[in-house]
Amino acid sequence: MRKVPTPTPLNHALALGSSRKGAGEWWAERLSAIALIPLTIWFAASVIALTGSDHAAFVAWLKTPFATICMILLLIALFHHTALGLQVIIEDYVHSGAKFAAIIATRLGCFALAVAGIVATLRIPFAG
Amino acid sequence: MMGKEKRLPLIIDSSDQLPSATILKRFPLPRNFGVAPDSRIEEGQVWKAPAGASRTKAFTIYRYDPDSGDNPTLDIFEVDLDDCGPMVLGALIWIKNKVDPTLTFRRSCREGVCGSCAMNIDGTNWLACTREIAETDEAGRIYPLSNMRIVKDLVPDLTHVFAQYAAMEPWLHSKTPAPENERLQSPEERSELDGYYECILCFCCTSGCPSHWWNGDRFLGPAALLQAYRWLADTRDEATGQRLDDLEDPFRLYRCHTILNCTRTCPKGGTPARRSPRSRK
Amino acid sequence: MSSPGARGRPLSPNIQIYRPQLTSVLSIANRITGVILSAFAVLMVVWLIAAASGPQPFSTVQRSIGSLFGQILMLGFTFSFFMHLCGGIRHLIWDTGHGFELRSIYASGWAVVVASILLTALTWGVSIWMGVG
Repeated sequence: MRKVPTPTPLNHALALGSSRKGAGEWWAERLSAIALIPLTIWFAASVIALTGSDHAAFVAWLKTPFATICMILLLIALFHHTALGLQVIIEDYVHSGAKFAAIIATRLGCFALAVAGIVATLRIPFAG
Repeated sequence: MMGKEKRLPLIIDSSDQLPSATILKRFPLPRNFGVAPDSRIEEGQVWKAPAGASRTKAFTIYRYDPDSGDNPTLDIFEVDLDDCGPMVLGALIWIKNKVDPTLTFRRSCREGVCGSCAMNIDGTNWLACTREIAETDEAGRIYPLSNMRIVKDLVPDLTHVFAQYAAMEPWLHSKTPAPENERLQSPEERSELDGYYECILCFCCTSGCPSHWWNGDRFLGPAALLQAYRWLADTRDEATGQRLDDLEDPFRLYRCHTILNCTRTCPKGGTPARRSPRSRK
Repeated sequence: MSSPGARGRPLSPNIQIYRPQLTSVLSIANRITGVILSAFAVLMVVWLIAAASGPQPFSTVQRSIGSLFGQILMLGFTFSFFMHLCGGIRHLIWDTGHGFELRSIYASGWAVVVASILLTALTWGVSIWMGVG
């Protein structure tokens, strides 16, 4: 049986103690950020190079193995980073029960978008 | 990047530089934006300078009287500059002695050593005893430390932030039996504590940290984290692993988003943000 | 954030009165641009799906991007991208334990602002030049 707690200030500050995790997510956010530096610059440069191009030119670009691989890596890193970043923002500002709904929606949404983007990218060289 | 001799208003070299170069004095938000009904600030009264005062300056000061049952107010005091000391603390003492004896604030050393008179002056946290009246805005704005439960006027309840400090167990942990003499350190080992031992626990940093505003019950805040690092960096301490494990938490430690308001506001020129327990994995 | 015995005490103002400084402003800017980029990540997937669906849907999307409204959005996106990129690199440098002196914090902060504006201008200059040429 748990004693009826008399919350002291220290009790309040210590709360439930340390969860002994957090470094993993911190690392994942940095790792995806580092991956995104070259990938997003590649993407931006490609989009500028494609300015004014039609569908055929776009397909010809994305069809190259290098572009397909980079695009898929970009989608994975981008939505991983997005999910982690948005989750931190939600945790910071939302303190009601809506917090969990928002985090679940963000996580699942990012996963779905990443898969949709990858499938669309793969359809161009393999089905198109 | 730029010339070193002249102090440029855009580049801040040390925390004692005035924040005069900011484009805005406060974020463009309604005064009582997101504030709970009983914390909303209402208009207060104006206390005119005594007749015959030739050099006066106005201060807008946050007032709250727990016995009145009223909301906090903003009072305007006109201070006789020829009759009070040069520092903001001098103006507060003058008001208490000459105008309104109920004005309540903490003060002790009046020379930046004790950390008692930390408050929000013109929008940033600083010690009232080391900020000159001449350096304040016209109608200087004086509030208690931000985001604190207020006991009375400029006196915040520091219970929680001190409890967070205590939770860091800020004392030497050692399993080795105490030696005959002192536990020795080399000068290099000792220098690892520079920038961390100076903390006077004024809580300017924690009170100025937006992340502590939003999650102060779970995020330890810069003052406590600086203290944690001070003991991690101490070669004589033998609880490093335990201390790191106790920090390892998405909120306790990782709610620090390197905003660095803490370093900007530290009246002792410390760097509360620079602690590297994160790099351990 | 109520502590025992403190119930009923008013909370002193925080964001309502605290001075906006380069430190906090760039931090919130990094967040806002991150959220904007998240919205554009959704648009990127739409763009890819349109491309995979055929020339017709692709040209519809391309036309919307080429419209005045689309171009304004793209300008905002470009600036957000460079701001978040430069701000992110600044954070990664901090993660190595460097650049925490106040002078470095402000110098790197203004460098992020200037670099974001210059890179946005450069990108649009090249893009317009490519479109014309």
